[in-house]
Amino acid sequence: MSTKKKVLLKVIILGDSGVGKTSLMNQYVNKKFSGGYKATIGADFLTKDVMVDDRIVTMQIWDTAGQERFQSLGVAFYRGADCCVLVFDVSLPSTFKSLDSWRDEFLVQASPRDPENFPFVVLGNKIDLENRTIQSKRAQQWCQNKNNIPYFETSAKEAINVEQAFQTIAKNALAQESDQDIYNEFPDQIKLPGDNKLNNSDAGCSC
Amino acid sequence: MMTGQFEEQERLLEEAKSVVQAQALQMKRCLDKNKFMESLKHASNMLNELRTSILSPKNYYELYISITDELRYLELYLLDEFEKGRQINDLYELVQYAGNIVPRLYLLITVGLVYIKSNPSLKRDLLKDLVEMCRGVQHPLRGLFLRNYLLQCTRNVLPDTPEENGDDSEGTVRDSIDFVLMNFAEMNKLWVRMQHQGHSRDKERREKEREELRILVGTNLVRLSQLESITLKKYRKVVLPGILEQIVSCRDPIAQEYLMECIIQVFPDEFHLSTLSMFLKSCEELHPGVNVKNIIILMIDRLANYTQHNEDSESLQLFDIFSDQISSILQCRVDMPPEDKVSLQVALMNLALKCYSDRIDFVDKVLQTTIDIFTKLKIEKFIIEITNKQIYFRVGYKSAVSRELCRLMKLPVDYFNNILTILELKHYRNVMECFDYTGRKTLALYLINNVLNTRTFIPTQELVEQVLTMISSLIEDQSDQPIIEEDPEDFAEEQALVARFIHLLKSEIADQQYLILSTARKHLIVGGNKRIYYTLPPLVFQAYQLALKYSSLSEEDELWQKKCQKIFQFSHQTIMALVKAEQAELPLRLFLQGVLTIGQINFENHETVAYEFLSQAFSLYEDEISESKCQLAAITLIIGVFEKLSCFGEENAEPVRTQCALAASKLLKKPDQCRAVATCSHLFWSGKMNTNEQLRDGKRVLDCLKKGVRIANQCMDNSVQVQLFIELLNYYIFFFERGDEYVTIEMLNQLISKIRDELANLENNEETQQISKHFNNTLSHLRNRMETGDEVLNYEGLIL
Repeated sequence: MSTKKKVLLKVIILGDSGVGKTSLMNQYVNKKFSGGYKATIGADFLTKDVMVDDRIVTMQIWDTAGQERFQSLGVAFYRGADCCVLVFDVSLPSTFKSLDSWRDEFLVQASPRDPENFPFVVLGNKIDLENRTIQSKRAQQWCQNKNNIPYFETSAKEAINVEQAFQTIAKNALAQESDQDIYNEFPDQIKLPGDNKLNNSDAGCSC
Repeated sequence: MMTGQFEEQERLLEEAKSVVQAQALQMKRCLDKNKFMESLKHASNMLNELRTSILSPKNYYELYISITDELRYLELYLLDEFEKGRQINDLYELVQYAGNIVPRLYLLITVGLVYIKSNPSLKRDLLKDLVEMCRGVQHPLRGLFLRNYLLQCTRNVLPDTPEENGDDSEGTVRDSIDFVLMNFAEMNKLWVRMQHQGHSRDKERREKEREELRILVGTNLVRLSQLESITLKKYRKVVLPGILEQIVSCRDPIAQEYLMECIIQVFPDEFHLSTLSMFLKSCEELHPGVNVKNIIILMIDRLANYTQHNEDSESLQLFDIFSDQISSILQCRVDMPPEDKVSLQVALMNLALKCYSDRIDFVDKVLQTTIDIFTKLKIEKFIIEITNKQIYFRVGYKSAVSRELCRLMKLPVDYFNNILTILELKHYRNVMECFDYTGRKTLALYLINNVLNTRTFIPTQELVEQVLTMISSLIEDQSDQPIIEEDPEDFAEEQALVARFIHLLKSEIADQQYLILSTARKHLIVGGNKRIYYTLPPLVFQAYQLALKYSSLSEEDELWQKKCQKIFQFSHQTIMALVKAEQAELPLRLFLQGVLTIGQINFENHETVAYEFLSQAFSLYEDEISESKCQLAAITLIIGVFEKLSCFGEENAEPVRTQCALAASKLLKKPDQCRAVATCSHLFWSGKMNTNEQLRDGKRVLDCLKKGVRIANQCMDNSVQVQLFIELLNYYIFFFERGDEYVTIEMLNQLISKIRDELANLENNEETQQISKHFNNTLSHLRNRMETGDEVLNYEGLIL
């Protein structure tokens, strides 16, 4: 792989409606937070250049709609993702329970080459709230059982752990990208002159 | 056909994607080798695949994603080149020569974006340029995706500085608003146009495809909501009017319904609060095919939630605004289904309860509006029924309207959890009248269940009057009641609930309680024979409790004796109503319970009253109860009650005692006779005189027992006979131990030896074993007594 080549990473953020996907992305990319709830429709991305191991990589972060009815065109944008971020709200148990189905759905739709080792990162958001119901231990347990997914407790509002989380996301995505490139560098098939004739002759024996 | 189409689509998509893959690879290789013009050619080839008109929206989207993912590499390369100092403006010219308009515009947008990044001073003009140029694609599907690409690419560069201090060439937020609003209008037009293209038989498929594509149009609104320089004022003055103008004027129901919902979803609550009237006014102007109800309910629910959690905004006249706008919408939408009209009231009710918990008048206003809706319906649809010269419109049970109306009525019940608050509502009862019989009854049950669960007491006669009128469908026959009898089990269950409810009609003040009971009886007594069987007994028991209360108040209330007498009169009348309803067992027991209560209260004239109650019980026994088992049970109860009483002087007591003994000996079956006569023996021993002393007439006790033995002797069934002897032996022992001198050891010996003889003759079976056991237990009791050698109890001479 040439060192000159630009690296572009695709990251997908998933999770139930209202867990703070858009806020996390805004905090990370624009360093801003606004309290009022605005639903996301469809899927949309922001880009950000980051340094990972002395390399500048461009991270394309896809923010998605948590409500299924706002995803009427399907989830084709999952394809080619280098990392998937699963977000839940530490004060809402139902959003934590949904993580399984978000993960499964992602693996089915994105169909990565090596689903077992595909990089996920889990974010337990809104730790600034007082009425926390999902404790760290429970979330960590879940992540351990899923092939040691990295887990971060974040607050998009107070900018806690957001930078660190995305740094890990970028790092793991980059590792994934490098693996994939080995396949992408080669064309699908090598055509040899004369092959055509052989394949196209459907008139019985060719010997 | 369908699967064939599906496979065909899959194949086409795969084909297109493999072209994309191959061209993208070539493009990237050329970029690596810095062959820019050639890479552009491959990019254009790749983009050519987006010219297809065969793919379904979802497949087109998948293709679009795979292509735009690849375009990202081109963009990165160009940005890199720009950083190295390459001139970008010639590129902008260059790509305009690409052969076809679709690839050309995608490339133009890609390059234009880099151009903007390299030279921000051109931002304003370039944005205008791009959004204008996209008009070149008028095919709906292709146009929608192209503009979506424009929207996506420009996300990071839209000017977001306030108008006042912005730069002219770089643009301000105003330019972004214009840019997005124009793109929005164009996309919406393309989207609406889809509806009118192609054959009419494909309408359903076309509408499905439109539903799938809607998020592309909605993304414009998301983009606007992301601009931080849009202040509340700007939203109200420019953004919202711009969006609404487009929505209203497109006259397309699918677009209108979706986009109105989008507005609610993507903009924050504060914006909605201050533009509510404008938004709702636009709802009035929407196409008749739009489900306005859903839009308004969504808005109400969102703001109700917000207001509930942000107390400072409560001063806002949210309720009034919604209430006024909804009634004006109802006026112009005559054809809205009645259930939808009611659903709107449900949402309003929710708002009133959640955000204005102290404003009962708001709840009442919603109820009144609901009645108005039905008054109008009555006039329009002529579904009427004439009852007591009043005209009602009744909502059929299980209809959609009834379901919504029921939700409306249950909300305040659940919210207040207090029937007294419900009774304060002026219009609750009137709305209840809108339901048909089953509907009213269901709701009435819901109400009394709530009262029971919260143990709410109804403390005045006025409130009792109101509540019983409100639940009258459970209390008395209704004019619209179906003729078919309802399931007896359901009926019993329902009336048992009412009975439990009656116990909660209760005041702490005794005089008040009397008025409550009188009021309740007035309502309950007209319930018919079937209902009063359940509803009057609790009333009688409440009355007895009240009498006991007066008795405890004897020092404070000098009229207490008169009041007690009145209460027993009241009880007497109430029980007689049950007698008239051809009940016997129940009134008999209620009378006996009354006698016991009177026995505890020493009011003037109480002996006469008690005698009257007891004689009523006796007449019921004699005249109405004919089945032998019931007779035995009844006479046993009468004897038991009389044994407890000490309120009778001898002149009243003696006839009753004799009457009991007589009634016992007149029973039809010998075993019944024997047992009843034996029971009578207690009357002559522990029965009381009015001095509260026990009678202790040992001789007459023995008379009873002897008579019992005589009757047992007449018994034909040997097993039963032995059983009776054993029971009688126990009576003898009982009175012997109590010290009745007339009972002798000799008598015991005789009876024991008789039982022994007879027992030997019995066939050995389970029944005989039971009898033997009874006998042996009796003997071991005696043995025990003899061994402990009690001085008072001398069992000397007893032969076991």
